[in-house]
Amino acid sequence: MLEIKNLQVKLAEEDKTILNGVTLRVPKGEVHAIMGPNGSGKSTLAYVLAGREGYEVTGGSVTWNGEDVLAMAPDERAAKGVFLAFQYPIEIPGVATMTFLRTALNAVKRKRGEKELTTPEFLRRVREEAASLGISEEILKRPLNVGFSGGEKKRMEILQMAVLGPTLCVLDETDSGLDIDAMRIVSAGVTKLKSKDRAMLVITHYQRLLNYIVPDRVHVMAGGRIQKSGGKELALELEKSGYAEFTKAA
Amino acid sequence: MTVAAPKTKAEQALTRNFEAVAARLPGGRAVADARKAAIGAFAALGLPHRRIEEWKYTDLRVALKEALPPAVGAPAQVTVAEIDAALGALAGLDAHRVVFVDGLHAPQLSSAAGLDEVTIQPLAAALAGPADRTGTGLFGEGAARQEAVVALNTAFMTDGAVVGIDERAKPAKPLLLIFVRAGAEGRLVTTRNVLKLAAGARATIIEAHVSLAGAGPAQANTLTEVTLADGAHLAHAKVTLAGEAASHLGTAMVTLGAEAIYWSFQLTAGTQLTRNTTFVDFRGEDAKLDVSGLFLGRGSEHIDTTLVVDHAVPACESRELFKGVLADRARGVFQGKVIVRPGAQKSDGKQMAQALMLSPDAEFDSKPELEIYADDVVCGHGSTAAELDEDMMFYMRARGIPPEEARELLIEGFIGEALDKIEDEAVREAFAAIAKGRLAQLSG
Repeated sequence: MLEIKNLQVKLAEEDKTILNGVTLRVPKGEVHAIMGPNGSGKSTLAYVLAGREGYEVTGGSVTWNGEDVLAMAPDERAAKGVFLAFQYPIEIPGVATMTFLRTALNAVKRKRGEKELTTPEFLRRVREEAASLGISEEILKRPLNVGFSGGEKKRMEILQMAVLGPTLCVLDETDSGLDIDAMRIVSAGVTKLKSKDRAMLVITHYQRLLNYIVPDRVHVMAGGRIQKSGGKELALELEKSGYAEFTKAA
Repeated sequence: MTVAAPKTKAEQALTRNFEAVAARLPGGRAVADARKAAIGAFAALGLPHRRIEEWKYTDLRVALKEALPPAVGAPAQVTVAEIDAALGALAGLDAHRVVFVDGLHAPQLSSAAGLDEVTIQPLAAALAGPADRTGTGLFGEGAARQEAVVALNTAFMTDGAVVGIDERAKPAKPLLLIFVRAGAEGRLVTTRNVLKLAAGARATIIEAHVSLAGAGPAQANTLTEVTLADGAHLAHAKVTLAGEAASHLGTAMVTLGAEAIYWSFQLTAGTQLTRNTTFVDFRGEDAKLDVSGLFLGRGSEHIDTTLVVDHAVPACESRELFKGVLADRARGVFQGKVIVRPGAQKSDGKQMAQALMLSPDAEFDSKPELEIYADDVVCGHGSTAAELDEDMMFYMRARGIPPEEARELLIEGFIGEALDKIEDEAVREAFAAIAKGRLAQLSG
């Protein structure tokens, strides 16, 4: 279970509070969606969960399976099963995608005390997952994300997620920049990863992604805190009414 | 009016040292005269300093505090095993070797005798013969360059490789020219090579400048003249691992005939002071130049790469890509001059120099200089100096990669683009292994 209690975060370099007491519980086996307008703090929450520098936690706590997430370095979090699918995946020049995947998988396996995959096992696993996401062999040879289209980058995030096998998946605006076909492929990839051992937090601005990745709970975030929570029908309501009510309240 | 600066201690010593050893330097009367003229030219020029534009960032008057005595006479005894240890990953390369120990040819360590279509002669022997058969530019254009470092090379050169590749010959194995610093005493070591490829010849020649464990300080001055006839193709790689107590002044003078291809790669690491100057003159149309390299600096190392590419004729192409990784207080310098002469239409020049700064005290000075006098040309240049990207580091760590491993992967990725320019797989792997080993020594 992911448990976020009264989380307060400000930018490290300025006196600007972004998260104003976020409280949220995502049990294993569930998919939760966070929706909210731009500037509501959604992406900050995602980054803080993954451990990006530049933020200062001024109060509250985050635990995953009872362990203090905020005390861990980003790579330790990954080893504990935390995975962030980036809104803007980073280009890594000179590092072939396959090399990157292999290095990452071996690193988390080592930390988890599991056996590293043999080369054939690794290749088989990557190729299978890549094929189901429509990622070509040629792309796997290229430097990670360099020159990839927006859709290719997002599919690559899901491929990494599938290969690394995390237990807490945070997807930050995975739908942004995707056309309808790419969204279908990406959503199918995510849906395939749903399991009773895995919690998912899907952050999105628009309701449309939730037609494909059906959430168990929907939370509305505005002004740096959760304003309202409900079932999947809440997403449809928001689609009609917009966020105005919440931005005023915040 | 120019006022002559007072001679530095090193400048005075260089002239004095020349007088002391001149009689023991190889060559007949004509060579001796050329040497005298050269030391005279040097005396007038002095060591290059920061007020000379080409030496703005590498002031030899400051850097060379003293002149070491020239290495002449019998060199130290060296074994193949010692050389292999100094060569590192390059030792395993299947190549014909020509070895020079402290500036003198060591035939017992060499393995390039009796090759078909390739002639190799030690420079000392060539200089002792008739002047017109040395094949060096000693008496012609090479001597004409107003360069103090070139003049010093002419004055003091003791030996080197004079290599000729016959018309359309394509030797199967690379030629590995090994220059070893061996003796325990500090020495000035001066070598000159002459590489001539006849029309349509194709070869790979690698220069390795290394230092044995326990070798004394070195001031190396090495010059390689490269002449490619029409349609010749030379891959010329150079690795300089001269040691913490070494300065290395390297000059390459390259002239390219029509449709010739000159490919070059320079790897420099673990050398206190390095200046590699490459002059390239296009003499025939449709020739191609591709020069790239990698420099890795730590401590107070100083690595200067200077290129002067002269598009004197139309339709030639030049490509330059240099990458550096600088730690501690290391300083990298890149000067890329490209001249496109009037009438040299359809010239195509591209230049890129990038440094990765691992320390806030490291410095990278990059100076592109494009002098374009023709109107139908494509010329571009770029330069960057940056630290390891924090976003990339975070992204990799978010995927579970520990920081040291992420850093290593990013640096390898950065230099990989340069190493990928090496076409020959065995050479590329050897250079990559050397670079990787040296990178591990750079502190963050």
